[in-house]
Amino acid sequence: MSKPSFVYVTYIRTTPEKLWAALTDPDTIRKYWFGMTAECDFKAGSPWALRFADGRVADSGEILEADPPRRLVIRWRNEFKPELKAEGSSRCTFEIELAAYYPDFGGKAVKLTIHHVLEGEGDKFIAAVSGGWPKVVSNLKSLLETGDVAFKE
Amino acid sequence: MTRPAFVYVTYIAAPPEKVWAALTKPDLTEKYWFGYRVEAGAKAGGRMTAFNPAGRKAHDDPIIESDPPRRLVYGWKPLYKDLPDEKPSRVTFVLEPFKDQTRLTVTHDEFEQGSRMFGMISKGWPAVLSSLKSFLETGRGLEPTWDEEQQKRAAEA
Repeated sequence: MSKPSFVYVTYIRTTPEKLWAALTDPDTIRKYWFGMTAECDFKAGSPWALRFADGRVADSGEILEADPPRRLVIRWRNEFKPELKAEGSSRCTFEIELAAYYPDFGGKAVKLTIHHVLEGEGDKFIAAVSGGWPKVVSNLKSLLETGDVAFKE
Repeated sequence: MTRPAFVYVTYIAAPPEKVWAALTKPDLTEKYWFGYRVEAGAKAGGRMTAFNPAGRKAHDDPIIESDPPRRLVYGWKPLYKDLPDEKPSRVTFVLEPFKDQTRLTVTHDEFEQGSRMFGMISKGWPAVLSSLKSFLETGRGLEPTWDEEQQKRAAEA
């Protein structure tokens, strides 16, 4: 039986380098992640934490892989909701590629694939990120394509 | 064992009325949906039709529910020759206002177990819906290039 997981694919009119920067620059993250951000050097082995605007830690973990501007893997554990924290660590993989946005139709866009897999057991953590990623990624796409986000909080 | 279902949620900085128009009017769909002209403005009991950029009919499916600008349900059985011969599946669009934007949820289900179509639409919807969001927010979809070879294949499909 496969582990609980969530996959989200989106295509963005940008470059892999700009998308990587948006995923790793604290000031840019804050713009599309509802005021939350991650201060991190995004190098393999470094600790990682996503914090609320007031500094509280929402999620924590470490960078498992970083291959700019193609691939980023974060070990990720919720810290602020006990029922989510109880389900333990997850692994979140970001893959970035300049791709034909649909086979047979040509046209290139940057394809972002987010694959979030719970390493333990449970259904609450994946349910939570399944609701969260579409919001965050929609905002990220809007920011890169229009210079503004769809919603602020 | 559960039957396969595909669900995709995206948030678009446009009111539901504009998202509805973009999903149902062929003059708008051709700007972001791989150049396809999709007509889905009929009431329940009417037809959803789609034509590819070479003018070939790609869909002629029943509209099952239509409640503008909130909910649209139609059948899905593409007419291309090279597709697997499977029973029709079903597409449901739900449009909800969300912080002055629209939350669009697309659910594509009622596939047979082991459906090949399911794999194809799972790749296709993220591309179409990404392009829809770009079109409504920037005026430009993620246009395909449609080179000569692709045009030829589309005309024969």
